[in-house]
Amino acid sequence: MPLFRRHRTDEPEPEMAPDASGTPAPAPTEPPPAPAAAVHVRGLTKRFGHFTAVDNIDLDVRRGEIFGFLGPNGSGKTTTIRMLCGVIAPTDGEATVLGFDAVGQAEDIRRSIGYMSQRFSLFEDLTVEENLKFYAGVYGIADERYEQRRAYILEMAGLQGREGELTANLSVGWKQRLALGCATIHEPELLFLDEPTSGVDPTARKRFWELLYDLAESGITLFVTTHYMDEAARCSRVAFIYEGSIVTEGTPDTLRTTLVNDTIFEVTTGDVDAAIEALTASPAIAEAYLSGAALHVNVGTRIDGPEVIASTLTTAGLEALSTRVVTPTLEDVFVHLVNRERASSVPGQ
Amino acid sequence: MRAMLTRINAIAAKELVHIRRDPRLLVAVLVMPVLQLLLFAYAISFDVRDVPTVLLDGDRTSESRAYLAAYEHSDFFHVVGHVDSPAQVDRAFDESTARVAVMVRPGFGRALTRGETPSVAVLLDGSEPNSAQLGQAYAVALNRQLDREVFVEWAQARALDPSAFGAVDVSVRTWYNPGRRSADFLIPGLMVVIIMIVTVQQTAVTLVRERDLGTFEQISVSPVRRGELVLGKTIPWAGLAFANMVATTFVAITLFRVPLRGDLLALVAGTLLFVLCCLGIGLLISARASSVEVANITGLIVSFLPGFMLSGFAFPLNSIPVVLQWISYLFPGRYMVDIARSVFLKGAGFEVLWPQIASLGLYALVILSLATLVHARRAD
Repeated sequence: MPLFRRHRTDEPEPEMAPDASGTPAPAPTEPPPAPAAAVHVRGLTKRFGHFTAVDNIDLDVRRGEIFGFLGPNGSGKTTTIRMLCGVIAPTDGEATVLGFDAVGQAEDIRRSIGYMSQRFSLFEDLTVEENLKFYAGVYGIADERYEQRRAYILEMAGLQGREGELTANLSVGWKQRLALGCATIHEPELLFLDEPTSGVDPTARKRFWELLYDLAESGITLFVTTHYMDEAARCSRVAFIYEGSIVTEGTPDTLRTTLVNDTIFEVTTGDVDAAIEALTASPAIAEAYLSGAALHVNVGTRIDGPEVIASTLTTAGLEALSTRVVTPTLEDVFVHLVNRERASSVPGQ
Repeated sequence: MRAMLTRINAIAAKELVHIRRDPRLLVAVLVMPVLQLLLFAYAISFDVRDVPTVLLDGDRTSESRAYLAAYEHSDFFHVVGHVDSPAQVDRAFDESTARVAVMVRPGFGRALTRGETPSVAVLLDGSEPNSAQLGQAYAVALNRQLDREVFVEWAQARALDPSAFGAVDVSVRTWYNPGRRSADFLIPGLMVVIIMIVTVQQTAVTLVRERDLGTFEQISVSPVRRGELVLGKTIPWAGLAFANMVATTFVAITLFRVPLRGDLLALVAGTLLFVLCCLGIGLLISARASSVEVANITGLIVSFLPGFMLSGFAFPLNSIPVVLQWISYLFPGRYMVDIARSVFLKGAGFEVLWPQIASLGLYALVILSLATLVHARRAD
C-alpha cells in the first residue's frame, strides 16, 4: 500500500495510466476512441409517470478523475447512475459511458464498469472466497487471472488468511473493502460508487478513501455519490443535483468556500414550523431550515447571531432552547446553493 | 456463448451454496417431501375394509347359506352377526353396529334351482357414503364373482341415494387398483403435490430475497442478462425438484409397494415439464411479491390449495363444481397427477399421455414467458 499519494485537483488530469497489473483490460467489442469521455451526458431525463426524477441534466466526467455527484436523498443521484449503467432507459436525452451508448450498448458498458452501493451486495452466507469466485464468474474471468486478482484483492482488503470466513461474520469495514474488491475484480475503467461509505465509521471511511485514491492513481475513473462534506472535498470535481436538476458544478473548493464567511447556528425550539416561518421572514437572517430535529440558521456574516435569533423568536412568541455554532455540512451548502438557485430563477423575488 | 455459460454456472453454483448453507432450507427441500409422503400416505387413507355387516337368511337352504358364506369370506365385509328380522337390521344400523345388511328372501334356493333370478336385498347405511359407495360396489362385484344370477335389490336406508354413486368411477378404480389400496391411488398424486409445493414456494422466495439483499441490483449492473439470472437461479431448484421426484418415487415403490407399470420415460418427461411449470409459477410470484413473507405465503397458497383440491389428488375432478373444474386447468397439478397415476397404475406411456404432456409443455412455455416479461417490466 502506498503511504503517500498526490493530493488531487489542481494538478493536470493524469493520462490514462498503464494498467498496473499488466493484464489486458476486459476487451470491449468496439474499443472506444481514446479521448472518449468517461461519462458524457446531454439533456438526460427520466420520468416515472408524472414524477420527473432526473430533469434534463448535462454531465461530463473526464477519464481518471474522481467525480463527486452530490445531492440530498431522492434528488435523482441513483436514478442517474442506473441510467448510465443501462439498467433503466432514459425518457429523453443521450448518455455515453466510456464511449458506449447507454441505451444501445448497455452490455458493453456493464462489462467495462464496476458498481458498488451502500448495500455492499455481498452474499452474507457465502465465504469471502466464494463471493470473489461468484463475481469472477459473472465477469468471465479466466482462472489464471482470477488467481492474480484474488491475491490482489485479499491484500487490498486485508483479508489474507480469512478467505474461508463467512462474509456475515466480517465487520462493516472489511465487508466494505471486500465489496470494493468484488466490484473491481474485472478491473473496470470506470467505477460507480453510490454512497459507498454510508453507515461506516470514520476510521474505516478514511481507509476506504485511501483505497479509492489508489484506484484513481491506477487510472480508474471514479463516479462517487456522497453525503459527507469531507468526502466531497476529496473529489477532483463535483456536481450538485437537487430535485432532478444540476444546481452547480465545479471543484470542491467551490463547496468549501461557499459558506466560509457564513455562520451557521443549530437551534432547538418547541414549534419548529413556526420558528422557521418567523426566522425566514426576518431580513437579518439569510436561511433557516430543518436539519434533523433541530433548525439550522444561517445568519450570514453577522456577529450578533444568537441575539438576532433570540429576539426574532421572542417576537414570534417562541423560545430558543439552545443555540450553538456548527461547522457547515454538505447539507448546509446544499440548502444555500438551492436557495441561491431559486432566487436567481424567480426574478422579482 | 461460453461467457454466458460461465455466468449461468457462477449463479447456479452460488445458489447451491446458499441451499447448502441453510439447514432449514435443506430440510425443507430434501427431508420434508419424503416426510410428508410418509405422513400423508399413512394418515390419509380411503381404505375401506372390514365393514361391519349383518346377514339375514330368510331362506335357510344350502344355497342361501353358500351364498352368504361368500360375504363371510370376504375381506371387505366383516360379518358381525346373523339377524332374524328386518327390525333387527334397523336396530343394528341405529346402533351403528353394522353398516351393511344382506337379506336373502325366502324362496332363494328354490328360485335358483328353477333357473330363475332370485332376489337378494343389500341394505347400506348411507350416513357414511364412502363405505356405502364401496359396499355397493363390492356387493356387485361379489355377486358377479359368485357367478350367480342373483337379482340384487338395492334398498335405501338413511339418506342414501344410489343414483349419486359414480358407478363408472368406482368400477374404474376397481379395475386399476384391484387390491383397492388407497396408497396406490394416493401416492402418485401426492408426489406431484409435494413437488409443486416445494418448488413453487422456494422459487418464489429466492429471487425476492436477492432483491431484498441488494445483490439483485448489483447483478443488474453486471454483464449478467436477466434470462441468465433466472436460468442460473432456477437450475439448482429444478435439479432438486427432480431429485425429490426420484426420491419419492423410490419411497413409493419400495415402502408402499406402489406398482410402476408404465413407461418411465413418459413419467420423466412429464416431471421435467411439470417442474418447469412450477418454477414459472414461482418466478411469476417473485416478480410481483413485495417481500419475502409475501412471496412465501403466496407461494404456499398458490401451490397448496390447488395442489390438494384442484389436481385430482384427493377428489376426483369430475366430482367438483364445474367452475372449480375450469379453474383446475389453470394449475399444472391436474395434468401431472393424471400422468403420474396413469404411468404408475395404468401402465400408460406416451401414446396415451401425449395430450397431458403437451399441455404441460405449453403451460411451461406460457408461464415462463409471462414470468420473464413481468420481471422485465419490474426493472423500470
